[in-house]
Amino acid sequence: MKQAAILLNPRLLSFRNKGFAKDRSIRLIIFAGIGISFWAGIFAICYRVLMYFQRVEGIGNILAYKLLSMVLLIFFSLLIFSSILTSLSNLYMSKDLTLVHSLPVPGEKIFLAKWIESTIDSSWMVVVYAIPVFISYGIVFKAGPFFYIDIALTLFPLCIIASALSSIMVLLIVIILPASRIRSVFVFLCLVLVVILYMTFRLLRPERLVNPENFASLLSYLNNLSAPSYPLLPSTWAFDSLKAALIGDASCSLFNVALSMSCAAFLIFSSILIARAIYFKGFSKSQASMARPFQHKKERLDKLFSFLSGPTKSFVVKEIKTFLRDQAQWSQIFLIGALIVIYTYNFSVLPIEQSPIKSVYLQNLLSFLNVALAAFVLISVTARFAFPSISIEGSSFWIVRSAPIPLRTFLWIKFFIYLFPLLILSEILIVVTNLLLNVTPFMMYLSIITLFFLTPGVVSLGIGLGAAYPDFNSENPAHTVTGFGGLVFMIISAAYIGAVIVLEAGPVYTIFMSGIRNENLSYFQLLWIIGSFFTAFLISMLAIILPMRFGEKRLMRGFFR
Amino acid sequence: MIDLINLSKHFGNIKAVDILNLSVSSGELFGFIGPNGAGKTTTIQMIGGLLAPTEGSVIIDGIDMAKEPEKAKKKIGLIPDRPFLYEKLTGMEFLKFTADLYEVSEEAFLENTEKILNMFSLIDRAHELIESYSHGMKQRLIMSAALLHEPLLIVVDEPMVGLDPRGIKMVKNLFRSLVAKGTTIFMSTHTLRLAEDVCDRIGIINNGKLIATGTINELKHTAQIGEADLEEVFFQLTEEEISL
Repeated sequence: MKQAAILLNPRLLSFRNKGFAKDRSIRLIIFAGIGISFWAGIFAICYRVLMYFQRVEGIGNILAYKLLSMVLLIFFSLLIFSSILTSLSNLYMSKDLTLVHSLPVPGEKIFLAKWIESTIDSSWMVVVYAIPVFISYGIVFKAGPFFYIDIALTLFPLCIIASALSSIMVLLIVIILPASRIRSVFVFLCLVLVVILYMTFRLLRPERLVNPENFASLLSYLNNLSAPSYPLLPSTWAFDSLKAALIGDASCSLFNVALSMSCAAFLIFSSILIARAIYFKGFSKSQASMARPFQHKKERLDKLFSFLSGPTKSFVVKEIKTFLRDQAQWSQIFLIGALIVIYTYNFSVLPIEQSPIKSVYLQNLLSFLNVALAAFVLISVTARFAFPSISIEGSSFWIVRSAPIPLRTFLWIKFFIYLFPLLILSEILIVVTNLLLNVTPFMMYLSIITLFFLTPGVVSLGIGLGAAYPDFNSENPAHTVTGFGGLVFMIISAAYIGAVIVLEAGPVYTIFMSGIRNENLSYFQLLWIIGSFFTAFLISMLAIILPMRFGEKRLMRGFFR
Repeated sequence: MIDLINLSKHFGNIKAVDILNLSVSSGELFGFIGPNGAGKTTTIQMIGGLLAPTEGSVIIDGIDMAKEPEKAKKKIGLIPDRPFLYEKLTGMEFLKFTADLYEVSEEAFLENTEKILNMFSLIDRAHELIESYSHGMKQRLIMSAALLHEPLLIVVDEPMVGLDPRGIKMVKNLFRSLVAKGTTIFMSTHTLRLAEDVCDRIGIINNGKLIATGTINELKHTAQIGEADLEEVFFQLTEEEISL
């Protein structure tokens, strides 16, 4: 254990040293503010839902317990999912592993140290955001102090069980498959699973529940609600413990905590024994990189972009090839594709005709909101792909810096590489959804034009701020968007889209209403409409130019440091 | 070919390079040696346009790197000490990327690539992803890419790191033959034997200052050592500097 503790020291020291850096305090305050807002939001929503349940006579408590059981099941699944990914990284892919394995420490001690790291990494955030849910239960059910102690007693073994189970799975799988592939395969499979579950849920059309005819099956629904959960699941023990603590039954609660603790202890010892037998073997296997010969094909991409100048073509071709060969990108593309299908599908099932609001008005209102929604989809796609595109250069950035092209050109190449696919994506999205909404031609053209100007602005913000806040040392550049620069990008992009939408909303309403009322626009209204649209256009132009300049300056300043 | 005028680079309070003045002529193989942290890599990065100097200027073939960086960089083939490359490209694709970047014509690319890949024994692995290459192979690929556009100046940081004895011998011969054809080479190295074997002139840097330059004989004279090799000259000069 002493050796495992020593191995954990560098991580603790790095964390401490990172915390002392003065320039991080502003970032820390911003992140803490956002984190606390989310925490408070979860608490508020949960509290309201539970208070609502309490008012439903007869089945209020059943609903609340069912919700708790579902929350714990989801919580446990999330822990398993995040533990598999973090233990894969920590046990087999960390940069420090070559050093650690060269030290005179047995494999199982290294495993133990890395497993503790993984457990903390994978659990802390899930735990932090699960606590407001449990606290709201305590308040609504007027639970005593034992319940709050029981939250800690329940969550601790649950995290350990999830982490130990995941690490055992990872230890065994790595023997069969190389670690670098497992992560991609696993992420991909999980995404497929999530999307299938969501699609199934969507295809069930829960919006039909507003139809009173469906309440005929209430009795079977109630039966289902009060059915006990599967008794061998750790989340069931946690549920039983918390439920008992809520009603003040301490002995039943502690019995379930003991069940969880004993299972956790058993799994820890089992994982250490398994690690002793196979961890190093798996690590050794994961280090062997495979030669992947490529069929020498005619360079189609080179031909396709032959109209570009040499340096521009070289970066365009390089960018496309490296993007398409990175397996991690595929799962992301798949996820985004699925989300877009779900997004457009939702529009096709909107019960606009049943609404008491006039259908034409609602269709156009939704179309206008749809511009904002499509723009937010655009922000998230840009955040995932365009924003990290500078950091993704990583240690190879010396090639760009020593290349005979200005940094500005390099950034604009990146801009155009991401602009075209994102423009096509956002335009398809808006046209398809508008067709499903059956909007007026005016709204269709307005949406198309608005997105035509919004997209370059958002992409420029992504590239510019990605260049301003790069992380060339990141093991996973896609995660740079979760840092300070990513946050700045999200906030500014949202503000930019908000500003354009607000500037367009008034004039669009005036035009629309004058059309319905068959009235001509006054000169003042015309002037106001032109002024608003021109301001929106001006903001879009600034959104294209300013972030790119800012990014270039900041990136250049990096050389002067 | 290279003129470093009052070149300085400060990182906060640390003077990594301190008022360095140096000229390297065309067709010269200049060795740049010094202890760890002396400022060799910082100087190389400034010559290659990777770092901007705090003060002073870098002139490459009469072109000021600060004023016309792209024009100056076109004349350079840079070989860094650590071979970071685009791992998801194949070796051949990386060479094509470099050729396009330096606007090498298609004919010249086809003509040079095979020759260079053969020379660096990479021809058989040219269509494999770079991520499957060993450290030495990546280093050889960077060298191949640096030579592809036939630069007037090759700036190389620790060229022999990761190379096997055959590779080292080949690179030594290559450098000499390039210099014979008029190419200038600015090479930083820790391997004193290499500097002694191939360099026309050597500069010794310590604590960011250029403490001596000249041929081996001139350096021996400066160090006031009669019959000695470069290693002894190096220790004599750097220790003198420390004791001062």
